[in-house]
Amino acid sequence: MSITATTALPRNRARRLPEQVLRLGIVVLLIVVITVLGCLVSDRFGTLNNFLNVYEQSTDLALVALGQTLTILTGGIDLSVGSMISLLSVLTSGIINSNGDLVLPVCAGIIVLGMVIGLINGIAIVMLRVHPLIVTLGTGAVLQGLALLYTMAPAGGVPDGFDFLAYGRIADISVGATIVLLVYLLASFLMRRTATGRNIYAIGDDRHAAVLLGLPVKRLTMLVYTLSGLLCAMTAIYLVARFGSGQPYAGANYTLASVTPVVVGGTMLSGGRGGVIGTLLGAYLIALLNDFLNFLHVSTEIQLVVQGLIIMLAVSAYREGKRG
Amino acid sequence: MKVDAIPQVRSLVTKSGRGSKPRLSDSIARYAIYIFLVLLLILSGIAAPSFLSQQNLSNLVLQTVPLAIVVIGQAIVIMTGGLDLSVASVMATAAVAGTCFAGGVGAVIEILVVSLFIGGATGLVNGLLVAKRQVSPFLATLASMIVLQGLRFAWTKGAPSGGLPPILRVVGSGTWHGIPVNLAVLAVLAVAACFIVHFTLLGRRFMITGGNQVTARLLGYPVDRIIIGSYVASGLLAAIAGVVLGGYAEIVDNQVGRGFELDSIVAAVIGGVALSGGRGTIPGALAGAAVLMLAANAVLLLGLPIQFQIVLKGVVIVLAAACYVRR
Repeated sequence: MSITATTALPRNRARRLPEQVLRLGIVVLLIVVITVLGCLVSDRFGTLNNFLNVYEQSTDLALVALGQTLTILTGGIDLSVGSMISLLSVLTSGIINSNGDLVLPVCAGIIVLGMVIGLINGIAIVMLRVHPLIVTLGTGAVLQGLALLYTMAPAGGVPDGFDFLAYGRIADISVGATIVLLVYLLASFLMRRTATGRNIYAIGDDRHAAVLLGLPVKRLTMLVYTLSGLLCAMTAIYLVARFGSGQPYAGANYTLASVTPVVVGGTMLSGGRGGVIGTLLGAYLIALLNDFLNFLHVSTEIQLVVQGLIIMLAVSAYREGKRG
Repeated sequence: MKVDAIPQVRSLVTKSGRGSKPRLSDSIARYAIYIFLVLLLILSGIAAPSFLSQQNLSNLVLQTVPLAIVVIGQAIVIMTGGLDLSVASVMATAAVAGTCFAGGVGAVIEILVVSLFIGGATGLVNGLLVAKRQVSPFLATLASMIVLQGLRFAWTKGAPSGGLPPILRVVGSGTWHGIPVNLAVLAVLAVAACFIVHFTLLGRRFMITGGNQVTARLLGYPVDRIIIGSYVASGLLAAIAGVVLGGYAEIVDNQVGRGFELDSIVAAVIGGVALSGGRGTIPGALAGAAVLMLAANAVLLLGLPIQFQIVLKGVVIVLAAACYVRR
């Protein structure tokens, strides 16, 4: 590790600026290409309505992927997000159980629980010194088991009006998606303008150097996993609002899917390089791509193939150079 | 940390490493997985005498072999410094492709050729992406997993595809005097892999490349070809495992081997293969696979709800991995 770090460093520094341009450039380019192609294919693709629709459809993925971005920026990964979303979503609807009085306290409780689970991930990673991939894989299995022990079928329900979070609109603009956009802008500001944000980059760039600089590496590691847990809790509540109940496998697909917008958006799995806005664009790109393929009447299976190829294309364009 | 893994390399690059003398805790960690395996066997036997019946043991082996075959490939990739998330997708695709052939001995050869081609080609793509384009292994193999999944579903339209020919059904699920037939397949592959990884120069090069790629390049090893080779090996083994598992299942569907991508990583890691590369043994990884299956079986023996299998797996993963961390 020490050898690769020292030999890689000067090259990184030299490439820093063009890489930042390249990073957002690729995802923006892909979005433009798909938009142009879409407009050629159908008149309805280029309408405002369609773009708002795509914007709304990227909400859930964007939310999980934000937490994933933070953990990946530190050089880690959170593979427990899917199970965490599953567990928290069944708990949300199961405990609320269509009782309107419980909505606020339960949602608050779920958010706290999400943060606690995330914190446990962070503590386990720091204390056991095991690779985050393995730790979160393990806690993910535990959480999935707990979700299934709680219920094997969709549980409980939510009162009318709860779906405002997912389907509500103010002047045609989706409420849920706008909240997510604001969260992203806030996160982007914090990551760029605060010492904590820059320290998170520093850990991912060179953990050893961060330790030598006296940065609170352990606390920051716990922080990013706690934030990932918080965002999972928000996603879980959003999904309950969208589907009307929590399901024990609601989050299963998010585990690996949450990594895609992050890397397509130019964040390196090796940590330290990338950013949250790229992830937002990555999530939008994926929603746009699926929308485009729907216009082409391409089956969902082929959509998967195209998505896989887009990942290969995007990440091989970035050239990581480091293992992650 | 990676430098510490290989004494020869360390002496090349630095004089002051941490103590190179083997410590007691290290040797305990080295054999922990075998001790754990024996303990699990004994405890299972005590908890339920029926566990030791020939019937139950042969069932357990039948179920463990496909995972064990995948784990061999996964272990080779991880030792070389990578990770292969596409194995389960390769398994299912190979098994589904196998159902397109019906009939006798000739079909078996055709199935083997086709499935090995699928596995080898996927491994080659993974390897090229990782070695030549420097894509992180996680992403390269994730992408090929998704692509294969899509192609498979497009081909089958999501419906189960029927079964494999009878001969392969025997290989996958048959027993001979109470000994599972698929154990023979595993034995051949395991011995071959063990020999190559631990007793040949090639195996040494796998390890050194995984331990420190820069050093391996400096030593003049064909690093790119070594990395590509590890993914091809993993793809081929996954394809074989897919056919064996397909022979075990009566009906082959798109989900054959679901979960094996993560299970195989877990088995290798709890068997002492370090995710950072360059360390681990094939027998250890195989023991890891056995422990994983035995732990799942123990939940049933103890009469606990089946959901506990998943919880227990999670706990085993974290604790076992923690045992191997070098303090």
